Amino acid sequence: MAKKEFSERAVVFRHFLREQREVFRGEMLSVVGLIIVGIFVVLAIIGPHIVPYDPNEAIVDQWGLIPEDKTPSKEHWFGLTRFGHDVFSQTIVSSRTAVVVGLISAVMVVFVGATLGLLAGYYGGWLDELIMRITDIAYGIPFLPMAIVLMTLLGRGISNVIIVVVALFWRSTTRVIRAQVLTIKERPFIQAARVVGASDFRIIYRHIAPNVLPMVFLYVALAVGWAVIAEASISFLGFSDPDSISWGQMIHFVFAAQMFRQAWWWFLPPGLCIVLLVMSAFWIGLAYEKVVNPRLKIE
Amino acid sequence: MSLLEIKNLKIHYRTKNGVAEAVDDVTFSVESGNTLGLVGESGCGKTTIAKAIMRLLPPNGRIAEGKILFKGRNLVDLSMNEVRKYRWEEIAMISQSAMNALNPVARVGNQLIEAMQAHRQVSREEAGRRMAEVFELVGLSIERAKDYPHQFSGGMKQRAVIAMALMLEPELIIADEPTTALDVLVQAQIILKIKELLSKLSTAMILITHDIAVVAETCERMLVMYAGKVMEHAKTDDIFYNPYNPYTLGLQNAFPSVKGERRELISISGFPPQLINPPPGCRFSKRCPFVLPICREQEPILEEVGPEHFSACHRSADVEEIRVKSKEEKTWEKEKVA
Amino acid sequence: MLITIVFFLFRIMPADPTALFIGASLHPDSQKMMIKMFGLDKPKLEQYFIYMKNLFRGQFGISIRTNQRVIDMMVDKIWNTLFMMGTAMVMALILGVIIGTILAWKRGTSIDTIGIAVFLALRSAPEFWLGMIVLVIFGYNLQWFPIGLMLTPGRPYTGFFDKYFSLDFVHHLFLPVFSMTIFYLATPMLVTRNSILDILHEDFIEMAHAKGLSNSRIMFRYALRNALLPVITIAPLMLGFAIGGQVLMEKVYSWPGMGRELVEAVNSMDYPVVQAAFLFLGAIVIVGNFLADVLYSYLDPRVKVG
Repeated sequence: MAKKEFSERAVVFRHFLREQREVFRGEMLSVVGLIIVGIFVVLAIIGPHIVPYDPNEAIVDQWGLIPEDKTPSKEHWFGLTRFGHDVFSQTIVSSRTAVVVGLISAVMVVFVGATLGLLAGYYGGWLDELIMRITDIAYGIPFLPMAIVLMTLLGRGISNVIIVVVALFWRSTTRVIRAQVLTIKERPFIQAARVVGASDFRIIYRHIAPNVLPMVFLYVALAVGWAVIAEASISFLGFSDPDSISWGQMIHFVFAAQMFRQAWWWFLPPGLCIVLLVMSAFWIGLAYEKVVNPRLKIE
Repeated sequence: MSLLEIKNLKIHYRTKNGVAEAVDDVTFSVESGNTLGLVGESGCGKTTIAKAIMRLLPPNGRIAEGKILFKGRNLVDLSMNEVRKYRWEEIAMISQSAMNALNPVARVGNQLIEAMQAHRQVSREEAGRRMAEVFELVGLSIERAKDYPHQFSGGMKQRAVIAMALMLEPELIIADEPTTALDVLVQAQIILKIKELLSKLSTAMILITHDIAVVAETCERMLVMYAGKVMEHAKTDDIFYNPYNPYTLGLQNAFPSVKGERRELISISGFPPQLINPPPGCRFSKRCPFVLPICREQEPILEEVGPEHFSACHRSADVEEIRVKSKEEKTWEKEKVA
Repeated sequence: MLITIVFFLFRIMPADPTALFIGASLHPDSQKMMIKMFGLDKPKLEQYFIYMKNLFRGQFGISIRTNQRVIDMMVDKIWNTLFMMGTAMVMALILGVIIGTILAWKRGTSIDTIGIAVFLALRSAPEFWLGMIVLVIFGYNLQWFPIGLMLTPGRPYTGFFDKYFSLDFVHHLFLPVFSMTIFYLATPMLVTRNSILDILHEDFIEMAHAKGLSNSRIMFRYALRNALLPVITIAPLMLGFAIGGQVLMEKVYSWPGMGRELVEAVNSMDYPVVQAAFLFLGAIVIVGNFLADVLYSYLDPRVKVG
């Protein structure tokens, strides 16, 4: 019996994958986005092992001094930082931070937000009121100031960055998902399921959730973008983990050294990487947006 | 010269499955001051013709062939600037769901004034005076002019839209399903009001509807359409008392009569044909109980079967027999076998 | 919404231990005064009420770092921040709406595609990085604008008006506002564009065409007027993020505002300043929300605030 259940789930999963492939059919831009994000994920995983230099070690010459000339060269494609670190290695290794923070926060943000939105939309009544009031309050809190305060309280670590992002970004998803659930709830097939006697859990799980899924994915894509920029902003202000490297942190150092007007090779790559990753995430989101809002497709 | 002459009009819509021949070889005319009722099922092309006259077809629609002559000018050839000039000034349109025809963020009165000022150099006072006139004509209190559309009831909105159409005293008004979205009582009121206006003013009207009862009350002439083609076209009385076309007969059966004898409603079974690559022959052949082999091969021409009475049917000669048979329920069931 | 304001204010209070409120480095007399003023020797609940009372009187305590009254430090900085952020937000909204309308009009053409691509790319970039690039190009290389700061150091000014409306101020204001604007305008632009495209399908637009109105009139008086409503709805959301942006930009441009104060205060554990700065920044969001609500009810005749 367990085997039958397993194969049944496998079929459902394969069907699910095929559905997702349909979403991307014909959306060149979104596919490109997927590819780029994929590249960054790969870099995140194997990055530290393939970089030519240790990003944290200064390159010194025979007398233990940092070379004067830090511009890009054959040995150092992106040149050196003020402290003699290889920029290229740093850039590659930073993708790990970006991907980890981006993906994990995004998934959690949407998970929390969507669940709350689902509950609020489906059950209505006091639960709805309560959740919406909390969301309203959350909306009133400006992200960065709160993030700074929380980072100081919680301590500066990557996991704390994730916590901060999740704690502050879930609010947008909740509202939107709740609205979606409200529209779906009124559709005849939901009423029919109720009449037949399906339990609440089953209705949510089997009927409402699949319809909300495209929007959920859209918000995951958007959330990745937000999370990456959020992490970069926190790092830029100097509030993130001093032990781990991230693109935002690299830019922080360029600024602190006041070298951004000369050392273009140092501060352009990390920024460009952020742009690339965030845009790719948004492009992926575009494919789901077309599913959620089909009117965009017809024209 | 007729006020409006439609000659061999063909309108096509480009869809992703092919080209839909929404209107095929339609010819009719409307005289000054007369009313024409345009009836047919949904999708038969009546609204498309209306939009074509106003040059308001959507981007995927185009006038493939034919002429639309208004006071002698072919509207199909005009540039958009010229089109904008005759819109509302000479021909006005009241579209379906007039409920939503008003801009929600502008006051109703202003929208009427705007309609006038877009075409004539008039001061706000002059336009305002005209607005008061048309408000009175349709039976709206002038105080309501400063309200917003959401403060009007459905019937009032309809009146407002009619009033707006009258602002420039156009020679032709096209009313597309003016009462469909209203409840029955309000419908009756609006129809009465329209009749009143028609008798007072010398405006010609094309009244588009799927409800032949409305046409019976208001229109002098009637045109029955089916799947983009003209089936029958004559004086309203003639169509009711001397119908020739099987489709018309079918329609009459499908409407209950409050005054007439109690009888079972007989509906025409089946669905209209698809308009992309339509089947050869008469478009009604699949559902017609009087079909002959020739109906499936050759399209019938619109021919004169009586004084100013036209019908497109191969069996116009058998009309007596057809009229008798169509009153029987079993006639219409039989065609399912065919 | 107003209830939320009160809840919000109460919420920030318990976040941090009140022990931090006075630093050990404060002069003992000041310490005593603070204890007395804020009732730090009294039970927590009473402390809250005392704090609230002081708040309304403008009493925020004394900065641990500078030993000045917090309120004195704040006043100038608040104006600095407001001018910069306010200008940037207004510009972003106005330009965003205009560009969004134009793109909607030119839908499907290359202008549309390029426009969206450009501003989306700008929005995907970290704004502080954008600020730095702008600074390098226009400040250092082209030398059109000064490099950061708010006013030329050492230049005397006579009073409020002269300070904020002088050419010098505007000259310094330009680059930061420019960077923020190009970053933030993508959101209102997209919302406007999508909203207009939706509206163009509505019946009253067809009626407007039937009336013989010109395309531009339809676009602006009918479509845009209705499309503005969703934009105003998202404006407060933008504001929340913009405050973050303001903090970042103040660092990049060395702009003496609330954001920079907040960062410095947090770094030096100057709790009274942190709390005050945070409160003000939060207040901006709330006021912004309120203004947006008011504006919305003004523009949408279907909604009348009771």
